[in-house]
Amino acid sequence: MSIQLEQLTKRYEGHPVVNQVSLEIADGEFFVLIGPSGSGKSTVLRMIAGLTSVDAGRIWLHGRDVSQAAPQARGVGFVFQHYALFQHMSVADNVEFALRVRKAAPVERRRRRDELLDLVGLAGLGQRMPNQLSGGQQQRVALARALAHRPSVLLLDEPFGALDAKIRVDLRRALRRIQTELGITTIFVTHDQEEAFELADRIGVMNFGRLLEVGPPSELYQRPQTEFVATFLGTANLLVGQCVAGSVRLGPVHFPLNTEALPLDTPNTPQRVQVLFRPEDVAVAAAPEALNCPQLGPGVVEQCVFAGSSERLTLRLPPLPTVRPIAPPVAFGDNSLLVEAARLQDQTRRLPLQPGDRVWVGVRRIHALAHPGLSFLIPTDGSPAALAALEVGGQIARLAHARVTLLGYGAAPTVLERHLQTAKERLGSGLAALELRVSAEPLGDAIAAEVERQPADLVIQGFHPAGGVALAEQTLRGGEHHVLLVPAEKNPGTPTRALVCVTGSEPAKNDVLFTGRLVRHLGAEATLLCVLPAAPVEADAHERAERFLAGGVRTLAVLGVPAATKLQTGPVRDVIAHEMQAGHHDLLVLGAPLPERDGTISLRGLVGQMLTGLSGHQALIVRSEFLAA
Amino acid sequence: MTASQARLRGAAPEPGWGTWAVRGAALTYLTVLLILPLFVIAQDGLRAGLAGLWRAVTLPVAWQALRLTLWTAALMAILNAGMGTLTAFVLVRYEFPGRDWLNLLIDLPLAVPTLVTGVMLVILYGPQGALGGWLESTFGWRVIFAPPGIVLALLFITFPFVVRALQPVLEALDRAQEEAAVTLGANAWTTFWRVVFPPLLLPLTTGTLLSFARAIGEFGSIVIVAGNIPLFSQTAAVYVFGEVESENRLGASAVSLVMLALAFVLVMLVDWLQRRRRSVSPQA
Repeated sequence: MSIQLEQLTKRYEGHPVVNQVSLEIADGEFFVLIGPSGSGKSTVLRMIAGLTSVDAGRIWLHGRDVSQAAPQARGVGFVFQHYALFQHMSVADNVEFALRVRKAAPVERRRRRDELLDLVGLAGLGQRMPNQLSGGQQQRVALARALAHRPSVLLLDEPFGALDAKIRVDLRRALRRIQTELGITTIFVTHDQEEAFELADRIGVMNFGRLLEVGPPSELYQRPQTEFVATFLGTANLLVGQCVAGSVRLGPVHFPLNTEALPLDTPNTPQRVQVLFRPEDVAVAAAPEALNCPQLGPGVVEQCVFAGSSERLTLRLPPLPTVRPIAPPVAFGDNSLLVEAARLQDQTRRLPLQPGDRVWVGVRRIHALAHPGLSFLIPTDGSPAALAALEVGGQIARLAHARVTLLGYGAAPTVLERHLQTAKERLGSGLAALELRVSAEPLGDAIAAEVERQPADLVIQGFHPAGGVALAEQTLRGGEHHVLLVPAEKNPGTPTRALVCVTGSEPAKNDVLFTGRLVRHLGAEATLLCVLPAAPVEADAHERAERFLAGGVRTLAVLGVPAATKLQTGPVRDVIAHEMQAGHHDLLVLGAPLPERDGTISLRGLVGQMLTGLSGHQALIVRSEFLAA
Repeated sequence: MTASQARLRGAAPEPGWGTWAVRGAALTYLTVLLILPLFVIAQDGLRAGLAGLWRAVTLPVAWQALRLTLWTAALMAILNAGMGTLTAFVLVRYEFPGRDWLNLLIDLPLAVPTLVTGVMLVILYGPQGALGGWLESTFGWRVIFAPPGIVLALLFITFPFVVRALQPVLEALDRAQEEAAVTLGANAWTTFWRVVFPPLLLPLTTGTLLSFARAIGEFGSIVIVAGNIPLFSQTAAVYVFGEVESENRLGASAVSLVMLALAFVLVMLVDWLQRRRRSVSPQA
């Protein structure tokens, strides 16, 4: 293993810009780290080079732990985006710099310099000054300079970002040739997917400080695991469909389930899945019989774009029941389905199409995504508590790359519209999707109507000390979602220490699972607390609770969440309150109480009591799918 | 842009009488203010011929004054180059409380009357001053009314020159170059000397020469600080003042002419360096 990263983390002002990144890169591998700007990819590279310090985690280069080593001692070659050539030195002196620093003999220095300039195709230009060279030539010099001391690892930080398209292609080829020739392990950072596909042995996709997926280019393109990777690499048609008993349903069409990895906890109840098909998987024909693949239905050609060797089509289809599009996004107030298709020249010749033409649309193959992705609903009435919920919700949604729906309620529509627009700006980018909704109903009904339209995994709402419990009750009644309550605070932040109160029962397993899923995104740690009543209990209650806690820790460990356990005896309410204080926890996780016989939920019990005193920390009320089923 | 295009774009109408009036005014102003005095002093200094000039300058009192002026200014320039570089570096590269205030203070010596500078130094370093008294009783060092006082005064008044010459260049330096040096194996010292310092060399030299030029003519603070003991702590400027006071015009003009010539050479040198700098880094 040339490069090994273990749980690498970097924070700026408390926010993780690189969040627990683990990665292994083999000898001689060409690895491309790709992601949008601000995703932390350059920071990872700089940490490997030692130009940025490491907050947590470790870096191994060729089996040596260099996490704290000086950059000079790491033996890496680094190429910067803007070349960073020494402007006052000639090309030759630039290339020889590393050897001069190492006090190499002049003969050896000159030999190596000529060899390197030859390698990068600049032989004979040694006496030029950097400002007499073109951008592409300067970057070639920078590459030669970075290779002079025979580094074990070559790191390139968006090296071709400042160059124009044609030169980029030339340089890409040159780099790949040199890399193969030298067999040097390379990490190349870019935001350009074309570059990534052409260069990489393997690609790692980063977003918001997380390394989402790693794999060969074709694998990531055809079988991504996450929504972000599916839409970031290449053009994607991504729809939410349903998965039942080994097949995927997209409206009227059934596809055999292609992914074995898709976790199906309850094989016989329909589950939401994300379905991906690429433009080249879409078939277009004049009649349904001519399609020899599953049909999506009739559609209208919206747009035809000539793209050299192929043709790109945008097709508009009528809405399919129970199918919701994610990408390409549909305009506001439109319920039809857009599908991107690509055809080769010979297909174009056989069936020439123009905007407005009617066609039949089929899909040759699909890929179901393993992780459906979280969706959040944030109701807001503009109150201080709602603003705190917005702030926290936005941060969590960015970390979890969740889809967010902002639901305005409790004020005049015009006021709400304005408030939602401001809120949208505050939330900024980085969410998988953001939708704004306004409701004239009271909170409970508004939420019920909204989740009817589109289910949410988590509702994040502000918590007023007065009437907050009643509001939380209404929210829980609206649907099957979990609820995060955020009290009004000046600078609310995402929780870092969660106290998960469990009872050691079957439903509590779900509490742990969802908490783990959420807490993993936050980079927080968890403590599992089980409280046994002070009154005499069955003999094996203690043992059972301990077994349960140990199981919970294992489950969380799989998710990558560090967890501790506590088993206490005493009055439940007092013990929890004391633990919250003593352990400096800022998130209290409670299981939702059992629904009443008529399906409503009452928070008059323990949860309500714990919420009454809620201030200075947030509370997560977790629903058990076990009970819902 | 080709030459013909340039001509087309820059084609100005034939200069009218207004343009000529403006040019004439500027040139007349320059002549009256600068060229005429220069001409007059040259004529006055050479009144007794070159031999007379030589005699006036090589009088022991005059000669010593010139030597003192030159070596104190040179010593100040060297100190200023070193400490000015350090100050500029700290101001640009490090965040610390009060940095903005300090940055503001740098320009103060340009505004403070030099007489006031002298008074401040006398209070601090004079035999009755706290620091001055201690230095004299402990080490036997005499600061005020002696050459060290002159150097101190010169350091104070020329403080901004080097710092202000380096600051913009330091700010514009590409930090990635230093990072590149570090990844290539250079330690902090090598990185400074081989990567950071070379682009600073020209502005540093310019700043240092300017402070040297400014120091040669300094009068106000020195007249208070130096004590003006002939052959010991009397600088050229103070000597000229004394000669004027005692109505020895030839002596005053002769030494003045030498100082003028020095200033002229320095200004030319600075000008040449700045041209060179522009040609070395056209983008800067």
